[in-house]
Amino acid sequence: MIYEGKKKIWAEYQKEIPEDHYFYVRSCIRQSFFPASEATFLDITRNKLGKDIFETEHHTTCGGIAYHSDTIPQETVMTIIARQFALMHKYGYENYVCSCITSFGLYCETMETWREYPELQQKIAENLWKSCHLEFAKPKFLVHASDLIFKYRMQIAAKSKYKLVNKNTGEPLRVVEHIGCHYSKMFPSKGVGGAEYPYVLVGMVEAWGGQIVDYPERRHCCGFGFRQYFIKGNRGYSLSNTHKKFESMEPFKPDMIITNCPGCPYFLDRWQYVIAETQGKTYGQDGHGIPVFTYEEVAGLVMGYDPWDLGLQTHQVSVEPLLDKIGIPYDPAKKYLGKNGKYLGEPQKPQCLK
Amino acid sequence: MGKLYDRLMKDYRLREGLNACINCGTCTAICPAAEFYRYDPRRIVDIVQHQDDAQIEELLKSDTIWYCGECLSCVTRCPRKNAAGLIIMALRSLSIQTGFFMESEKGRQMYLLCKDLNHNILNYGYCIYARAFKYDAHLEAGVVWQWVEKNIDEVFDRLGGNLDKEGPGAMRKIPQKDLDELKKIYDITGATEMLENVKNAGLKKAEELGLTEEEYCQKIYTECSPKHFNH
Amino acid sequence: MKNNILVIGGGPAGLEASAVLSRMGYNVILAEKEKRLGGHLAKWDRLFPDQTPAKEVLDGLLDGIKDVKCFTETDVNSINLLDRSFNAMLSNGITILADAVLLASGFDMFKAEKKEEYGYGIYDGVMTNADMEQVFREGKTFSPAPKAIGFVHCVGSRDEKAGNPACSKVCCATAVKQAIETKELYPEANVYCFYMDLRMFGRHYEDLYLRAQKAGIRFIRGRVSEVAETSEGRLLVKAEDTLSSRPVKVTLDRLVLMAGMRPSEAGHKVGRQLNLSVEEDGFFSSRDGFLSLQKSKLPGLFYAGACTGPKTLPDTFHEARSAAMEIDRYIKENFRK
Repeated sequence: MIYEGKKKIWAEYQKEIPEDHYFYVRSCIRQSFFPASEATFLDITRNKLGKDIFETEHHTTCGGIAYHSDTIPQETVMTIIARQFALMHKYGYENYVCSCITSFGLYCETMETWREYPELQQKIAENLWKSCHLEFAKPKFLVHASDLIFKYRMQIAAKSKYKLVNKNTGEPLRVVEHIGCHYSKMFPSKGVGGAEYPYVLVGMVEAWGGQIVDYPERRHCCGFGFRQYFIKGNRGYSLSNTHKKFESMEPFKPDMIITNCPGCPYFLDRWQYVIAETQGKTYGQDGHGIPVFTYEEVAGLVMGYDPWDLGLQTHQVSVEPLLDKIGIPYDPAKKYLGKNGKYLGEPQKPQCLK
Repeated sequence: MGKLYDRLMKDYRLREGLNACINCGTCTAICPAAEFYRYDPRRIVDIVQHQDDAQIEELLKSDTIWYCGECLSCVTRCPRKNAAGLIIMALRSLSIQTGFFMESEKGRQMYLLCKDLNHNILNYGYCIYARAFKYDAHLEAGVVWQWVEKNIDEVFDRLGGNLDKEGPGAMRKIPQKDLDELKKIYDITGATEMLENVKNAGLKKAEELGLTEEEYCQKIYTECSPKHFNH
Repeated sequence: MKNNILVIGGGPAGLEASAVLSRMGYNVILAEKEKRLGGHLAKWDRLFPDQTPAKEVLDGLLDGIKDVKCFTETDVNSINLLDRSFNAMLSNGITILADAVLLASGFDMFKAEKKEEYGYGIYDGVMTNADMEQVFREGKTFSPAPKAIGFVHCVGSRDEKAGNPACSKVCCATAVKQAIETKELYPEANVYCFYMDLRMFGRHYEDLYLRAQKAGIRFIRGRVSEVAETSEGRLLVKAEDTLSSRPVKVTLDRLVLMAGMRPSEAGHKVGRQLNLSVEEDGFFSSRDGFLSLQKSKLPGLFYAGACTGPKTLPDTFHEARSAAMEIDRYIKENFRK
């Protein structure tokens, strides 16, 4: 592997990311499975870095998952998107940051289609007025929330308490990155670093002391596949794709995985559990899995957030071996406590996965 | 040029996605579905570009068009700027419009997908709504999700969420006014009508099979013929 | 008085045309930007279809230019058309007044690193056709002996995204030739060619294909989609075998990319000064596509070789000779009445 070659490519994909003043839109999956990640994103950007990140309760899903499950027409999803953009405009913003990769890809695709077919944009603007009485607008800058954390990575590093380093050996942790397919595969220029060697997560990991591990199936989809996961009869598709990725990364012995798409960490975490429980196969050390994180969780960890504030207790693959490796303290007694210290009981233990 | 092809060409995704295929196979080479299913996206693009209605009709009635996971990895690789994934999406929409989707096992899954996802959107404003995501239907979500489900309000409170509560935040209760707007968008953009058609087609099929709606849902949720698979 | 003819480019086209013009009695001045004459031919080891050593052909060309004034490592800094002659200032400080100019600026190789998914310049085992010729020419060997080697046709050719929808014409034959030579060096290795269509159009090219098949080279009809590096530092290559409609994955030790032909940057620099028109593919446009192939739209300026599009060596030599004939006719008609 020639690192300089990648650097040349990264230099060619420079995405303009404004420093401040964003309209923030949440992700259906991240809210459902990683609510603490979104809370952490807002806490870091607003409270630690002093940025203006605005959220309104009036925004909704972008409809992307329903659309990519083929259950609503393109015109419907475009009008929902137009409504989100219109809210941004209404609240006086022109920079739009979304938490979801499916949304991000769909926004890029939609804006490109509008640009190419102005009559369609006109129709959507009329739909928007008829249904919501909102004024049509488009963001001046559209970024994914991981683009912002990438932008702030050095500021985060400057405030960090821990590094992605094995405290016993002093060696950088071996980190696998996984980019959501809809981040830049459709429009390479919209992603930091392009489509083939995206830099958005690599940049974070490098800034925070870790070492990126490339492996053959790095670019492969996690296997969500929308309908291929929602319908039980199709789920083998989803599982087999995650399985392919883990078989491919196994020889590289990664310490952890970092992701930027909300769905991928769920699938990469949970299918490891299924593979362990059904096949007896685990990919981490000593019967553990390889812990999978959102970029917000990793940012939170290096900044010294309590792992249980980050929601790491809701992962199925246990994170404790990694926390020990870095030297991040945690209180096992507090893992399953509710907000006011109420003990919520413990989840059952998996049969195989430690 | 056939009528089905004409209808396909009205779809912006086809107009954007079809730009003369050179049959090189770079799409199929990296397609997550192609390794798993008996599936070759290159063939589908080739069939569509032939503009032969008989072959297109066969596709619309087949399981083949439902194998794609819409990851759109194919888009990056095509040397001719085609988008196999977008062409599939246009075919699926036409299959639903023509009712041909009811002729394949994978197509009939539309009933459940339409019902569940849009129920979440129209009632809560989310595609995925944590409280409706049940461990029983998703054992793969793990024993940790079983624990979350049991303590869902506490867990969301603990993790900075705002489950079903007023104001902004993760999984907040989205105001009714906003949900009403979503419904209006559905009404004027054809989603309501499409959902109604999919629902009626499914219920008719259930009746033909002598199944209750619940039994029918169970059938299409779990059914999976071995003929789909590659191995 | 001998008329001055300026030849820009000292590759096969420029050398052959210079030789012919010089035999006709013209005063030929040749400007070559590189240190060595011969262009890409000088970097090649053997030539398809019969594996003639490139050096043999180059030596033959150099024999013919003994009376030609050659300036190597010399750029054309500026050039303009005066009344009916061209005034050229060379980077070595020499000014030339020429009655006709032959532009033989040839081609640049497609920059293979632009096909990011193939990992040229990133994955150690990925190389280009030119790199492979260098290996052959220098008599180097791969150690340890490779178990599997692949050749990728159409790299930066027939590829709209890479900015070149056209076929580069020579890559199929080059790939098959290099595959045979590789197999000869490493008889135990599995050798693959990944192709879309095999364009073996020239005399004896099909024989080359037959030889390759008989040598056991595997032809996979599918364009390579993606390359990655395994934990052992080998290359995982993904393509579709479009004949069986199945995705295939092959693990290789080396992957050789058949980088195609792009218009020469140096040629463009000259063309811009003279307002020469280029076609959509970036190559110069001839006055017409049949009867005036060697003529530009500018009187007194002629083309030969790959500056008007990808060509094989025999094609290039034909063009060089006809360009010399056209120049001779032009000079006789315009300067000797």
